[in-house]
Amino acid sequence: MKAEIQIKSTINFYSGRKVSLIFSGLLLLIIILLILDIFFGSVNIKAAEVIKALFAKSDNSFEIIILKFRLPKAITALTVGVALSLSGLQMQTVFRNPMAGPYVLGISSGASLGVAFVILGFSSNITPFSINGLGNWILVSASWVGAGAVMFLIMIISSRIKDIMTILILGIMLSSGISAIVTIMQYFSNETMLKSYVIWTMGSLGNLTAGQLNVLMISVSVGVILSLFSSKMLNALLLGENYAGSIGLNVRLARILIFACTSILAGSVTAFCGPIGFIGIAVPHITRILFKTSDHKVLIPGTILAGGVVMLISDIISQLPGSESVLPINAVTSLIGIPVVIWVILRNRKYSGLF
Amino acid sequence: MKTNLKEILSLDSLKIGYASGKNENVLLPPLNACADSGELIAVIGRNGIGKSTLLRTLTGLQPTLGGDILYSGKNIRYYSRMDLAQKVGYISTDVVKVSNMSVYELVALGRFPHTNWIGRIETKDHEIIMDAIEKTSMSSFCRKFVSELSDGERQKAMIARILAQDTGIMVMDEPTAFLDIAGKYEILHLMHTLTNTSDKTIIFSTHDLQMAISQSDKIWLILDSKLIEGAPEDLMIAGAFDHLFDSSTVRFNSENGTFSFRSEEKGSIYINGDGIKKLWTEKAINRAGFTVSKEKTVPYIITPSGNNKNWLLPTQNFVHEFGSIYELVSYLNKEGNRPI
Repeated sequence: MKAEIQIKSTINFYSGRKVSLIFSGLLLLIIILLILDIFFGSVNIKAAEVIKALFAKSDNSFEIIILKFRLPKAITALTVGVALSLSGLQMQTVFRNPMAGPYVLGISSGASLGVAFVILGFSSNITPFSINGLGNWILVSASWVGAGAVMFLIMIISSRIKDIMTILILGIMLSSGISAIVTIMQYFSNETMLKSYVIWTMGSLGNLTAGQLNVLMISVSVGVILSLFSSKMLNALLLGENYAGSIGLNVRLARILIFACTSILAGSVTAFCGPIGFIGIAVPHITRILFKTSDHKVLIPGTILAGGVVMLISDIISQLPGSESVLPINAVTSLIGIPVVIWVILRNRKYSGLF
Repeated sequence: MKTNLKEILSLDSLKIGYASGKNENVLLPPLNACADSGELIAVIGRNGIGKSTLLRTLTGLQPTLGGDILYSGKNIRYYSRMDLAQKVGYISTDVVKVSNMSVYELVALGRFPHTNWIGRIETKDHEIIMDAIEKTSMSSFCRKFVSELSDGERQKAMIARILAQDTGIMVMDEPTAFLDIAGKYEILHLMHTLTNTSDKTIIFSTHDLQMAISQSDKIWLILDSKLIEGAPEDLMIAGAFDHLFDSSTVRFNSENGTFSFRSEEKGSIYINGDGIKKLWTEKAINRAGFTVSKEKTVPYIITPSGNNKNWLLPTQNFVHEFGSIYELVSYLNKEGNRPI
C-alpha cells in the first residue's frame, strides 16, 4: 500500500516525461519553422542557394537577402514571440486575470507613448530606423518607462477593483486615452516625424538594424533571466496575495520584480517592432492547454517555446509563401490570437479559474 | 510572571485595526490572550467585530497598531516574512480559483518557505507533501485539479497545504463556512486529530458556537469590551456567552450549550420516562413553548416504554394517546388544548 502510493506519487512528482516530450517537440518545431522562415519570402530563392548563402561565401544578391534580411527577421520574430508571450503569462498570473496581456491592458500603448515622445517630441531628424547606438537605448528606455507607468496604473486600479471585466474596460479606456495624447502630438509634429511614427505603429519585424536587433536581444535576454527568478513567486501569486504572503512571499518586492520584467519584455518589443497584438494574451493559454499545469517552472519555458513557435508561424504566413506581397504582422497575429481569446471567454464565462 | 514552556503564541495588549495615513481605526480594545502548543482554539464573536482582522494580524498580513504578538517569545516584528511563514500558516475565506493546478501542486506550494530560489521540490519536500496529503486523506485526489474538487475536498487540500508548510500554528478563517453538516464535522474532526496527534495549534474562527464548544480546547470570545479566553466550559459557567446576544429573542442555555428562542411561556409539563425518548420529548416540549418541570406535577407526559408504544397525556377525565412526538406537539400547539 505504502509502496503503491510511493509509485503513484513519483509519477506525479516527475510528471516529467510528458513535459519533456512536449518541450522537445516545441524545440524541434522552432528549428523547422526557423528554417522555413528563412526559405520562404517574397523573392523566390532556391533551397540550394539559401544553404549556400548561409554556409558558404558567395557574392550574389541572394546572400544579402538571406543574411541581411531574412535571418535577422526570423530571429526578431523568435525574440518578439518569446518576449510578448512571457510578459503575457506574467501579467495573467500577477493580475489573476485570464484576459491580461500587454496589448489589451494598454501596456503596449504606454510603450508607444514613450516611443512617440522620442520620435515626435525631440528631434525631427530622429526616426526609429535611423537611430543608432545610444539612440536605440534611449528609444527602448522610453518604451520601458511608458510600459511601466501603465503597468503601475493598472496595478493600482486592480488593487481596488477585483472585477476582471471592469479592469479590461479600463485598460481599453487607458489605451484610448494614450492614443488621444499621441494624436495630439502627431497634430503638432512635422511630416517626416509623422510618417516615421505611422510606419512604426504598423508593426514590423523586418525593419530592424543590426544595432537595434542587438539591443532587442540583450533586453529580452535580461527579461527572460529575470522571469526565471520569478517562477517561484508567480506560483505563490496564483493563490492570491493573501496566501502568497502567508507562505512567505514578499508580495511588494515580487510585484516590482515581475513588473520590471514585464515592462522590459513588452517595452523592448514595442519600441522596435511596434504594438503587436494578441500574442501575449493567447500564447500563455495555448501553453496551459498543452502542459495542463499551473506550475511556472514548466509554464515559463513552455511559454518561451510556444511563443517562438506562434510568432514564427505568424511571420511565415505574413510573407504569403508563393506570392510577392507581404501582410502586416499585426494583422496576422490578431487573426491567430483572437480566436484563442474568444475560445477562452466562451469556455468559461464566469472567469472562475481560467489559469 | 509565570513562564510556560508550551506557550507558543501570546498577545499582549494587542491593538488591531486598519491604518490609512495618520488615521487609525482601532477595532477593539487591547487584546490579551495566549495559545499553547497542541491546542484547538475557536475564535468566537459577532459578524464584523474583527475576527478576520485579528487572524490576519496574527499571520502578519496586517500590521499591528500597538501591543505585541509573541511567537515562541519573539516579537512578530522581528520575524522576516519567510521566518514567519515557518511559524504560522493561514487559510482565509478566499476560494482558490486556479484551474490546471493539481492537488499535489497546491500542497507543494506549502513548501514555499523551505525550498530554494526556483522552488525545487527535493525528495524530502516530496515526502512531507505526500505525508500531508495522506494525513488529510486526500491521497486519491493527488492528481485531480483543485477546480474539480468539492468545497469540502478543497478545504482539506488547503489544510494539507498548511501541513506541508510545517508550521506550529495554523490560523483558519471560518474553515467550515460553506460546508454541509457532514463536511463541517469532517473538517473539524481533522482539525481535532491534528491538534491531538501532532502538537499543531489551530486557531480558527467560527460562527458555529455549539461545534466550537463541543470540540475546542479553548475559546477566544471577542466581545465589544474585551477578549475573554478559557475552556468552553469555564466560559459557560461564567455565563460569558450570554453577552453575544443582545436580542431578547434568543436564549443561550448554559446547561447544555444550546440555543432556544425565547417565547411566551405556556406552562410547565413533567415528563415521565427515561433515555433518549425522554430527552427528545423534552426538546419538543421546549420548542412548543413549555418548560419541563423537574418535579412530578400535573400535567405530565408518559413516554413510550415496554408495552406502551404511545406518548400518553392524561387529563382529568381522559388519556390522550399520540403515536409520535409530531402528533403530541401538534396537539399542544392547538389553542384551547392547553393541558393546564
